[in-house]
Amino acid sequence: MNTAIKARRARKKLFGNTVFHGFGLIASFFFLAPFIWAGLASLRSNAEAQSPPLPPWPKNGISVDAYLTLDTFGAGVWQHTMNSLLVSAGTVVLTVIVSILAGYGFSRYRFPFKNLMFVLIIATLMIPFQSILTPLFIILAKLGLNNSLLGLTLVYVTLQLPFSVFMMRNAFDAVPREIEEAARIDGARDLKLLVRVLFPLVLPGVVTVAIFAFLNAWNEFLAALILLSDNEKYTLPVLMTAVRAGRLGAINWGALQAGVMVMTIPCLVVFLLLQRYYMRGLMAGAVK
Amino acid sequence: MTITTASPLASIARPRRRASMRQWTGILYVAPAMALVIVFFVVPLIFTVWMSLHNWPLIGQPSWIGLGNYTRMFSDARFFSALGFTAYYTVIATIAIFALAFPLALFVERQRTGVGFYRTVFFMPVVVGLATASLLWVWLANVDAGVFSSILRWFGITGRAANILATFDSAFALIIVMVVWKIVGFTMIILLTGLQAIPADLTEAARIDGANAWQRFTKLTLPLMRRTLALAFILSITGSVLAFDQFYIMTSGGPQNRMISVVYYIFNQSFVSFQLGYGSALSIALLGILVTLSVVQLRLLRVGDER
Amino acid sequence: MLKKLIGTVSLATILMAQGAMAQETINMWVRTGIGTAFTTLADSYNASHENQIQLTEVPFSELVQKYATAIAGGQAPDALSLDLIYTPSFAAAGQLEDLTDWVQALPYYNGLAPSHVALGTYEGRNYGLPLLVETSIFAWNKDLYAEAGLDPEKAPTSWDEIKANAEKIRALGGDKYGFYFSGGSCGGCMIFTFAPTIWGSGADILSEDGKTATLDTPQARAAVENYRFMVENDLIPAGAETDNGVNFMSFSNGNIGQQSIGAFGMGSIINDNPDLNFGVTLIPGSEGGVSSFAGGDNIVVTKGTPRLDAVKEFIEYAYSAEGQEVLAKSGALPSRLDIAEQTLASMDPRFQVAVDAIEVAKTPYTLLFNDLINSANSPWAIFTNAAIFGGDVDGAFAAAQSEMQSIIDNAP
Repeated sequence: MNTAIKARRARKKLFGNTVFHGFGLIASFFFLAPFIWAGLASLRSNAEAQSPPLPPWPKNGISVDAYLTLDTFGAGVWQHTMNSLLVSAGTVVLTVIVSILAGYGFSRYRFPFKNLMFVLIIATLMIPFQSILTPLFIILAKLGLNNSLLGLTLVYVTLQLPFSVFMMRNAFDAVPREIEEAARIDGARDLKLLVRVLFPLVLPGVVTVAIFAFLNAWNEFLAALILLSDNEKYTLPVLMTAVRAGRLGAINWGALQAGVMVMTIPCLVVFLLLQRYYMRGLMAGAVK
Repeated sequence: MTITTASPLASIARPRRRASMRQWTGILYVAPAMALVIVFFVVPLIFTVWMSLHNWPLIGQPSWIGLGNYTRMFSDARFFSALGFTAYYTVIATIAIFALAFPLALFVERQRTGVGFYRTVFFMPVVVGLATASLLWVWLANVDAGVFSSILRWFGITGRAANILATFDSAFALIIVMVVWKIVGFTMIILLTGLQAIPADLTEAARIDGANAWQRFTKLTLPLMRRTLALAFILSITGSVLAFDQFYIMTSGGPQNRMISVVYYIFNQSFVSFQLGYGSALSIALLGILVTLSVVQLRLLRVGDER
Repeated sequence: MLKKLIGTVSLATILMAQGAMAQETINMWVRTGIGTAFTTLADSYNASHENQIQLTEVPFSELVQKYATAIAGGQAPDALSLDLIYTPSFAAAGQLEDLTDWVQALPYYNGLAPSHVALGTYEGRNYGLPLLVETSIFAWNKDLYAEAGLDPEKAPTSWDEIKANAEKIRALGGDKYGFYFSGGSCGGCMIFTFAPTIWGSGADILSEDGKTATLDTPQARAAVENYRFMVENDLIPAGAETDNGVNFMSFSNGNIGQQSIGAFGMGSIINDNPDLNFGVTLIPGSEGGVSSFAGGDNIVVTKGTPRLDAVKEFIEYAYSAEGQEVLAKSGALPSRLDIAEQTLASMDPRFQVAVDAIEVAKTPYTLLFNDLINSANSPWAIFTNAAIFGGDVDGAFAAAQSEMQSIIDNAP
């Protein structure tokens, strides 16, 4: 009797698990398939690259042809990857510093025009920045920052600010005031207080901000194209426009897949390594 | 718990007493952010407004035409068709994303082994750039070197090679599938935060009262998630209204110019036809539309607060 | 960094050695996707001259936008290789250096490629000069002709012949197709390959002064019908309908029986794909006659550049016998017709067909080339796709005709 119930429960649980994981795995397949397909196809030799990837894996052995072809575009894929990394890293560092300061200021201080300033920062979200590119170019030229990776980085930081400042303000708002008061009594002041005491508490928010900054800077293409005018300074997405445009009237699909992989893998690695913080930060930002 | 939104008017100052010294410290903290926003955003924006009052070729001398660009807009059939297409895309994409994001959020909400893995996997496409995703999918959909056309033929759905990007309906469907694949993980996580904020004892009580799963969902879950939903809607709608990359990369606005979104049209006017003045005026109009949308959505939020 | 250092050191050495004459670096832009002719020319110039050219390749679809933005920001290159169809609008905007006095004093001025000179002239002054010259021509794959039982040495002379041949080649089955064109709203491709079939029979899509759209003509209708025939009878690959130009050179894969291509493309096939056995001839008009599109690049100089003399030195080098040969070897046609014969003496005889095409070739002269024809969303691009692949030919003609006229009328 007892065992029969147990068995029925076990069967039910097994059935439930099968349905649950069956659905999960099928859904996972659809989410992962495009990546896997492109990844495998990028390892095919030049001879296979122009035909449909069925099956996706290379039939005549693994080849790096596609990546070598990709390297022949622009100033070489390493150069452009380094540029992209430089710009992305710069964007991350600056965004984090600026948005922590601003988030803290907006969360803990009261000053004239505070609301107006906050609204102004958030409002940048609503402008398609394509439409201010030309004035932006002219301003950068006046500042001597055109055709420089630094200028591009500053523009990216600005584009990141609405999201980042918003996130950081929420993160600081979520920190109980008592902690701060206690630290203050212990003699910690302003920046020291911020760095030593509060920073660890808002770390998930910081990581979220950093990841978003990295991803957006890494993936942005139109501003990079307009604001940079040297082959050697182009970032990866600009290289990809050359690959997409094809060469001599033929598009090399292998190089395109290889480029997609070079663009994708760093994003996925960063996400997979830091996702614990990232998800926590994201959820804390959405619900405060 | 209060839910905040990405909309500007949502910031609410909390009155506090502070020494006037502290005021200046506060301004110092926000100064770097303000400097960046002013130099790289406010000034270009004012410049854009200025340009919108001119006939401003990309090269050559601009000439003042007052509100000419704005009046021209009202007789510009191509602008209205871009507006129409953007609205159509926004509605379909938003419905499609929510139709999938909700079941997925309910799915990953459960505390079971493996659920962390599924969350990660569903979220993965979110971190890839939209441009990269578009490139990837344009290859998958290519008739000669891609996957879909061969699979369709394999299953005997189409006879000869099917060129998915050639007709509006199939190309549009493809773009929706791509966008859902790319975005749904993000919406799922937002909805998940809302679901997790619902106290478990409430659901339990409803279960004991004999409410079935569907009743619990419509009578309890949905109303309680009102504000999370509003946030997810705002993000989704703003994103869709500003859509550009996918049409630019995947279909170049085709077939027959039927996929030109508003941002795409602005881009064309500014950087293909080089009518920067008109492009600027269109940008200002788009800004107006987005602000209006946000205000409307904010109203909906306020209504939520009163209840 | 190291490269720069070496550059600085060698610069210093040269300066010390030469003393008087300062070496200059000319910044030049070239669009990607037009082959290697210009890069090769710059390399060979750098090897033999003291002044050096620093070349930046800009994606072709973004070059105009980037150049115009750079001018606005005061950061333009000294000179660039500009798609010749854009020369009028840039000259009209007053951004280009007037080269009239200098160029007309050159002894071989009258021998420069006429279409390029014409497009480079605005209100009687020369702003752009021929640099890269190419024409469109009709190519057929001799191996596929033979396989399909056709005479591989006989060039088709009419569209009836081309259609019949295409059917025979398609009958070989599999991946072998009779014809190809980039029909996915690629205005640039279609003005290059399809418009000559209208021009050849005496019609045009714009009036002489560019003020009236004259799209709807019997010749254009016939041209559309020829292409529709190819689509309706499955004589072209399905990808053509959405090919926005990226697969323009499908002919080089060996499975396309016939296609109109350009001289650059022909050059790259001859160099990179020598096994492809093909012939070329002039593009037949839809109702008789022949024509071609004269394309390529003009070299233009940014107004007020301090390195004008250095740029002139480079242009003269390009026009020297040596420069002409370097260009021709990498696929560009001679920009000086007076010495074309000797330039091509050692070259593949098929280039002569492309040079012959220069005489019958046209290029529309309009300040609105991008809006009317070239951009992916232009009426011409949309028209070619809609009329050839769509269900409503009359509607496509009517829509494009009125759209083109309205763009012309509303031009600022």
